[in-house]
Amino acid sequence: MPSWQNFQPFLVIGLALGGVYALSGVGMVVLYRATGVLNLSFGAVGAMGALIAWQAINSWGLPQGIAWLICVAFAAVLTTLYGLVFGAALAKRDPVVKAVATLGLALILLGVMDLLWTTSGGASRSLTLPTDSSGFQISSLTVDWTQVISLGLGVALTFFTAIFLRVTRLGTAMRAMANDREITAMLGVPVTRVLAAAWFGCGVLAGVAGLLLADLVALDATTLTFLVISSLAAALIGQLRSIAVTFIAAIVIGVVDSMITPINSITNYRDMTPFVLAVIALLVLSGRSTVSLERGGI
Amino acid sequence: MATTEVQAPEAPGDGALQRQALRLRQLDTRARVRAVVVVVLLAFCLFPMPSILSLYYVGAMTQVTVYAIVALGLGVLVGRVGLVSLGQAAVLAMGAWVAARVLFATSLPYPLVLLIAGLVTMVLGTLVGLPALRMRGLYLALITLMLAGAISVVLATTNFPNGGGGFLGYNGNAVHTPPIRRPGIANSDPAFLRYSIVVAILMFLFVVWHLRTRPGRAWAAIRQSEASAVAAGINIVRYKLWAFALASFVTGVAGGLLAGADRYLYSIDFQTQDSITLLAVVLMGGIYSIWGAVIAALLLQLLPQLLNSWGVSPYWLTVLFGVGVLQVLTTAPAGIVDQMPRDLARLGRLLARPFRQAHPTGPAGGAQ
Repeated sequence: MPSWQNFQPFLVIGLALGGVYALSGVGMVVLYRATGVLNLSFGAVGAMGALIAWQAINSWGLPQGIAWLICVAFAAVLTTLYGLVFGAALAKRDPVVKAVATLGLALILLGVMDLLWTTSGGASRSLTLPTDSSGFQISSLTVDWTQVISLGLGVALTFFTAIFLRVTRLGTAMRAMANDREITAMLGVPVTRVLAAAWFGCGVLAGVAGLLLADLVALDATTLTFLVISSLAAALIGQLRSIAVTFIAAIVIGVVDSMITPINSITNYRDMTPFVLAVIALLVLSGRSTVSLERGGI
Repeated sequence: MATTEVQAPEAPGDGALQRQALRLRQLDTRARVRAVVVVVLLAFCLFPMPSILSLYYVGAMTQVTVYAIVALGLGVLVGRVGLVSLGQAAVLAMGAWVAARVLFATSLPYPLVLLIAGLVTMVLGTLVGLPALRMRGLYLALITLMLAGAISVVLATTNFPNGGGGFLGYNGNAVHTPPIRRPGIANSDPAFLRYSIVVAILMFLFVVWHLRTRPGRAWAAIRQSEASAVAAGINIVRYKLWAFALASFVTGVAGGLLAGADRYLYSIDFQTQDSITLLAVVLMGGIYSIWGAVIAALLLQLLPQLLNSWGVSPYWLTVLFGVGVLQVLTTAPAGIVDQMPRDLARLGRLLARPFRQAHPTGPAGGAQ
């Protein structure tokens, strides 16, 4: 068993990853509550945004700040467009249909990314934020600012989303939509505008998460696309409902996944963390009823 | 198909009966024609095709055969019972693992190994189905996605058996590992293709037999409405588990074929993405017809090889599959197998229009 000293750097990495997972998880929960769509293309959209930012910096010679803005704007616009076109077209369908449709978008983006940014010949890219190079020391431990920002954004976003949903008009409308869309529409809430706002917010978060994960993990289309599963696991533990539980679960997943790394006997299995936690959560939390009243299938 | 009833005012009695009989006879002929076409196609696939094709396409067609079985299992789950699984590629990997392990450990005849692979996978798949029973659509899809992810992590560590010892049968130091054994009668690639086609036909018949009898009717009822299925006295727990068991069994057998087809299995070839792509092509092929499974397998395994030989990047296919999923879900729920004949018929009518104007009293076309 490695000593506590060995675990410390992994704790920092885990907290940073957990922060980004929380960011994504909360985004997914809010979108699911407001629109009924579980957005599985979250990771792919962020990945493509990050790759575009990489392209902007390395081939177009744009300054970093503008490249990041392009990334976030791309993610937001694409997600909103999808929401307005396909979200609307599938509005009355079963949640599983809506989720599988977002997988369609994810596949399209994966294909486009593989076509435009080939990895043949071992080409690898990296996106480094300037906050990587500076940091501070806690006793013997180095913490860089990207890690601080990741955790900080996760915390701040969870906090502000909770307040936003409770206090603002738009937030109240979103919560109302989560309860019953028809009645909300009847009460005079501009449903389409609220939906668009929810999709837009989700897209912004996808872009930010894409940038941070590209820096913290790797700038690789497939990796980033499927990292969404960790956030999804957190969202599932929060029953696609509770922002607070999603946040805690995301941090736990990030930390556990990372902290297992130095333990040699199980280090290879560390990536199972989100799956195992999510499966346990699904089994424990899923309802007891064996009969569903909805029509199944596609 | 041609259900347009032409109301004839003068003869409601005898004439109607005669027309009924005529229509039945037409349906009968149509079924017979279809049966003949199917038999001829199968005969072609079994006898001349493996000998004509280059080894490259023999390999591709073997993969098509294997994945047609996998797509069939997934199609039953999604289309007939309404259970969306995002983890079928992991189930296939389990089948392949079991088959490879048994093939290295024993000298049992190949059909028996396929059966063992199918049965072990069936037990594992049903275990997955057990907790999933109380979950509704979305949660079931997600738990299968999570389990598939977990399985792929485990496989990445344990690797596939390559003739080593121990329970896992993996030897990490081996430089020259023996290939996975094939059946004695099907050692060459064309022979193994024929062997796979025979197994696939058996699996298709097995599934069709299920669909035509009691379980098929029970699944149709469950898909329409679980509540009314219960009210009709259907044990939905039993039939849902049955569906999982059937899909896992055929997928496990397909895994056994895959082990023999590839001869060397690597965990890197089984990714979470494959399960998603698999669902995409199954939806595109058509989930309400067993032929949709064949189309799905052609899309998944033959098209990339064709594109490859034409020098087109196979990544275009990922884009195509994504577009296909969106199209199926929004406008064409029955997939290509339903869409293609209809589009062709429409095209045919369009082409026939100039000729038909000479006979304004001609037949009013097909359905609708």
